[in-house]
Amino acid sequence: MIRIYRQLLVAQIQAAAQYRIQALLWMLFSIIRPVIFLAAWTAVSTAQGGSVGGYTTSDFAAYYIALTIVGHLTTAWNSFEFEFEVRQGRLSPKLLRPLHPLHYSVVENLIWKVTTFLPLMLVCLVIALTFQVRWSGEWWHLALFVPSIVLAAALSFMIGWVVATATFWLQRINTVNTLLQRTSFIFAGQIAPLSLMPAALQVISYSLPFAYILAIPAEILRGGVTLERGLLYLVGQAVWLGLSIVAFRFAWRAGLREYSAVGA
Amino acid sequence: MYALTPMDAPVVDVRALRKVYRVTERETGLAATFRSFVRRRYREVLAVDGITFHIDPGEVVGFLGPNGAGKTTTLKMLSGLLHPTSGEATVLGHVPWRREGDFLRGMTLLMGNRSQLVWDIPAADSFLVLKEIYAVPAAQYKRTLDELTELLDLGPLLHKLVRGLSLGERMKVEFAAGLLHSPGVAFLDEPTLGLDISMQGRIRRFVAEYNQRSGATILLTSHYMDDVVALCRRVIVIHHGVLLYDGALADLAERMAPYKRISVTLRGSVGDLSTFGEVVSSNENLATIHVPRAQAAERTARLVRELGDQLADISVEDPPIEEVIDKVFASERPLAETTA
Ligand SMILES: Nc1ncnc2c1ncn2[C@@H]1O[C@H](COP(=O)(O)OP(=O)(O)O)[C@@H](O)[C@H]1O
Ligand SMILES: [Mg+2]
Repeated sequence: MIRIYRQLLVAQIQAAAQYRIQALLWMLFSIIRPVIFLAAWTAVSTAQGGSVGGYTTSDFAAYYIALTIVGHLTTAWNSFEFEFEVRQGRLSPKLLRPLHPLHYSVVENLIWKVTTFLPLMLVCLVIALTFQVRWSGEWWHLALFVPSIVLAAALSFMIGWVVATATFWLQRINTVNTLLQRTSFIFAGQIAPLSLMPAALQVISYSLPFAYILAIPAEILRGGVTLERGLLYLVGQAVWLGLSIVAFRFAWRAGLREYSAVGA
Repeated sequence: MYALTPMDAPVVDVRALRKVYRVTERETGLAATFRSFVRRRYREVLAVDGITFHIDPGEVVGFLGPNGAGKTTTLKMLSGLLHPTSGEATVLGHVPWRREGDFLRGMTLLMGNRSQLVWDIPAADSFLVLKEIYAVPAAQYKRTLDELTELLDLGPLLHKLVRGLSLGERMKVEFAAGLLHSPGVAFLDEPTLGLDISMQGRIRRFVAEYNQRSGATILLTSHYMDDVVALCRRVIVIHHGVLLYDGALADLAERMAPYKRISVTLRGSVGDLSTFGEVVSSNENLATIHVPRAQAAERTARLVRELGDQLADISVEDPPIEEVIDKVFASERPLAETTA
């Protein structure tokens, strides 16, 4: 498997090299939104004398920078790509080979993240300096963050694949994707850190998978959780990852029965 | 070679295979869109209607039928892309649509109008990926690639971007990509589609040679009868998803064409020959007449007798394969029924 990944990596880096500009644009785009919310919360907290619900201006900045990094590391375009591939007839050649189509996108996903990570960190550094951020974490926050971000990225990836399988039934899945993004926007901690949300919304957020992809790893990275809570969050992430894998396997099998290999 | 298939068992075994596509009806208008959420409307397309056949190891079989006959659908089921609506099939002893690793490693599906390669990189790099995916041992990979390079004259093509290759060049590279793992079964769907005559011939010779060298079993569809005549001793003909003929190419005309063709050359100009049969062409001193198969001998004798000295030459043949096929396909209902 490692040898397959290595060859895929070589091949796809070459192919991806032609789309460098698009990659950078996408990355910048994904940074803009957290910065807008950061600016808004900074304004609110300044107006209220420097803090809102226990979050200082610097805390907000730390949270949103963490969220930007996490958002970047958990990006997954699978569902969009998959729909496109099916329509272009590019799924069929992959199905003929003894390698699950999912593996190609693991490699693509990793390439995207690695190649854009450095510019992203530079941008984050600029933001951090602009908003005078102070990191308030302990060393074990970083130790927790590593498994947490891996689980979050895997969870995001698998949810992308579950949604992707909808293509087998719906041909077009923009509606599903939009719905998912809106839901994630509300419940993943993008509007505000979870603890500032109304109690009811918090309950919903912790019961849905989206916060386990964004808000939770971001809080851990920022240093905003206790060790016990942090460990509990990891368990939550693992459970959601397990569920998404089971859901994917089921949906994939059922979907292939519907597959009509149109245009291929 | 294949642990799961005894040597004499068919490599491809198809029983009552059927495929009905369900096509979602697209409705326009807001109300209709809402309604379609509740109850989806489907149109059913019967693509393959219960076909049965089997193919023995090493055979090269031509799969014939007009556009829309269900050839591609059948090949997609046999290569595991599609689940059939009903019926059974095994290929190399596996049920194709379970897509087991041993099955996928043992077969290939090549489509003339589809690309399996990544267009943005040279074929050589795609080949290396395939080598790992199929777990081809290094020595075997080198041997196979050398052989394919020689047979298809790939040398200069491997290191160019695939998107820069001509259609013919790309097809050669696609062939190599599809055969790198030395599959025991190859499904070829219109492999010469759109290629110029010399490239068609090239691919044809390659397929023949590959079959001889590797002993691979090949099921091939083509629009060009030349492909079939050159490669296949046996053909399977389907029309409207129904199997019309399965047997030797040589016997196809006898079974499918109810007439024979008599060609006569006269010393003078051709008079009225319509009493002998259907005159399909006549000019100057040459004429072609179609006569019912059963009466071919008697009509020929009559021609010789009545034309006497006027006759310079006469021959009786089956009509050319293309013509037979065209006639079969022109009939709306399966021929088996109309002639019965
Ligand atoms: N993906 C699909 N969805 C719906 N109908 C299809 C699909 N693919 C093929 N068909 C229909 O099934 C029939 C058989 O098509 P096909 O197998 O491609 O025939 P052939 O390869 O012999 O030309 C045709 O009527 C075609 O329109
Ligand atoms: Mg076809």
